[in-house]
Amino acid sequence: MMQWAIESLKKLESSRRDRANKPAPLPGSSEAEMLLKTYHPDYLGNKRQLSVGPNAGDQKVPLELAQLLEGDSAIDNLPNPEIETDVLIIGGGGAGAAAALTLEGSGLDVHLATKLRLGDSNTVMAEGGIQSALGPEDSPRRHFADALVGGHGDNDPNLLQILCEQGPESIRWLSQLGCLFDQNEKGRFRLRGGGGTSVPRVLACRDYTGLEIMRVLKDAVRLTSTKLMEEHVAMEFVDDGNGRVTGAILFDRSASKTVCISARAVILATGGSGQIRLQGFPTSNHIGATGDGLVLAYRQGCRLIDLDSYQYHPSGASYPEALAGQLVTEAVRSMGAQVVNAEGVQFIDEMAYRDVLAAAIIKEIVKGRGVKTPHGKSGVWLDTPMIDLKKGPGTLAHQFPGLIHRFERYDINPTKQPILIYPTLHYQNGGIRVDSECRTDIAGLWACGEVTGGLHGKNRLMGNSLLDITVFGRRSAQSVLDNIPKRGATTLTNLKRFREELTKIESPEVSPKFFPDASGMKLKAIKIEEKSEKEISKFEPRNPFNF
Amino acid sequence: MTEKTVEIKISGKTIQAKLGETIVNALWESGIADSVKTGCAGGVCGACTVTLRYSDGRQGGTELACMKAVDAEMEVFPCPVEPDDPVMPVSHPELSHLQSAFPTLNRCTKCGSCTNSCPMSIPVMDSVLRMQKGEFQAVAEDFTTCIHCGLCRFVCEDKVKPHTMGLWLRRSLGLSREAKIEKNEDNNDWEYLLDEDPEARLEKARHYRRKGNL
Repeated sequence: MMQWAIESLKKLESSRRDRANKPAPLPGSSEAEMLLKTYHPDYLGNKRQLSVGPNAGDQKVPLELAQLLEGDSAIDNLPNPEIETDVLIIGGGGAGAAAALTLEGSGLDVHLATKLRLGDSNTVMAEGGIQSALGPEDSPRRHFADALVGGHGDNDPNLLQILCEQGPESIRWLSQLGCLFDQNEKGRFRLRGGGGTSVPRVLACRDYTGLEIMRVLKDAVRLTSTKLMEEHVAMEFVDDGNGRVTGAILFDRSASKTVCISARAVILATGGSGQIRLQGFPTSNHIGATGDGLVLAYRQGCRLIDLDSYQYHPSGASYPEALAGQLVTEAVRSMGAQVVNAEGVQFIDEMAYRDVLAAAIIKEIVKGRGVKTPHGKSGVWLDTPMIDLKKGPGTLAHQFPGLIHRFERYDINPTKQPILIYPTLHYQNGGIRVDSECRTDIAGLWACGEVTGGLHGKNRLMGNSLLDITVFGRRSAQSVLDNIPKRGATTLTNLKRFREELTKIESPEVSPKFFPDASGMKLKAIKIEEKSEKEISKFEPRNPFNF
Repeated sequence: MTEKTVEIKISGKTIQAKLGETIVNALWESGIADSVKTGCAGGVCGACTVTLRYSDGRQGGTELACMKAVDAEMEVFPCPVEPDDPVMPVSHPELSHLQSAFPTLNRCTKCGSCTNSCPMSIPVMDSVLRMQKGEFQAVAEDFTTCIHCGLCRFVCEDKVKPHTMGLWLRRSLGLSREAKIEKNEDNNDWEYLLDEDPEARLEKARHYRRKGNL
């Protein structure tokens, strides 16, 4: 297959033997900086300053996100609280599940609300692995140093120290819940390298690590006393009239009605925002990743940090069309698959930092050294057959069954043929500011996982997000246990204050979006007239590299 | 570029779809995304289970709408599957534990429907037979790629629950393992690494990561 690229494929195959033992060019720090400034989407997208909310007048944020943050709520009246609980967790991914498990047995009443089903999240889609300093040459300090350098020094050092120190304990916890991480012949965890790790530190369950963790957490949560509210969309927080968050207004999708829930503490674990599809980029994210948590917390007065920084994963699939944007795990590169342009040239070390590699791939395409698909997309090759060549026949099939399974159905055999890749919007590096106990700027509201910012700096290393959700999901719950406030009144005072500021904005759109624009799905709670108004002011995304 | 289009039917309603795109994509473009429950759109959450039929008589079957490309004469029917009640895993599981937790285990009539239904190509029926024989390590391996869509249970006329048993066994074996985790407790270097000055901190981290010590 891929007859349309036959000329380029021939060049790639004829250079393969030579490339196998040749060290690849790794860009120096000034070259890397040039690549980032000239080709990384973070530096090229349209941005503006916010004029409303805690970040007003601060760093610029992507236009698409600015529009959501300066949007108006769909809520116009406050329903009476129908449900009273002690802790409300919003978000059904790994972080929310870890929080629920930690609260079990505390005697507190816990509700977990999720827009989709429990487990429908970016966690379940994570492939490559989870970092933890378990190797003989390794330590939490070394893990810290690697992640800090990878994040360009912008990581919050306190959060990062906690992450790295809690690595081994988190693996113990996940193992005791029944996660089966891959082991070597000696019965020890198999550790792989990842981009930016100075020693092997990534544990995995083949290329289904997130699936393994999520299905175990999901099963474990379903065995607790946590009350699950699936298909319940968080539309707004409520507060006690003095700034403290005291619950939320949810929309029950199956009953088509709003529900107000009063809680003594709220843990926000709604994940990221890849489905905003900045600049028209494809995304590897699940359909719920529309940045809802950012918008809701911002209205309450939570400060957001590093929102100008997103991770574009270098290896998103570019062909077949049906898989466009989907993740091809970095572990494939760490096992030896090289990144090669249309001319068969390995133009960069495949283990360069994710942001640098993404920029380098975009550069090749801009310079006309990319491969064009019959669907009008572009990409460069990820030379997967190199893995078996370097590590022995059968290695790829054994370690990456997911990769094979997905491509085989489109008549591409990654053990024999390369995969065409293009950067895909993968991870929200920034987010809600939290302290080391996962507390946001607003009392009553805790946050953990991808919705928070600071931990990963401006570039997250592979395997640090699965660790993030485990460590900080548990930590947020522990902090709630230690500091749970008394029940407060439920009002919309914070929202009212935000709306007063919002009068500065001409016809704000209704936000959050709840579902991807591309899906055309709308929350039934949003009124028709508001929909049409929004469509008038619709921002047309621009992909500067849309060829 | 003009792309070839085909007509497909979703619950009887005809829509236009671009050849090569997934069923989920086609539903999104036609404004009827809600007609099939969707989660990750990446083939791992198991939400978008559907059954397929072809009006030209080709063999249909079960699929994930987010992974299956549209094709001419395709008819799609949503097939959402509710999860089974979970069962608490046990340490060092034995056949008797499995049998009492899942009384339908031995009802399997070896019809093979479960294997045919699996969108992940797991040899489900063979694995159920391995469960009956207590070959649990092999079962754990079989279910490594299970996305818990539940189609194997949905199609089983004898109410065997392969995916739930698979997860129960994987968890049970997992928590029986001795996790060998040695903590590196030497915390002396934190002071060096946590320099107040961000520039100095980054420089120290660059230096530290080369050897992993001072």
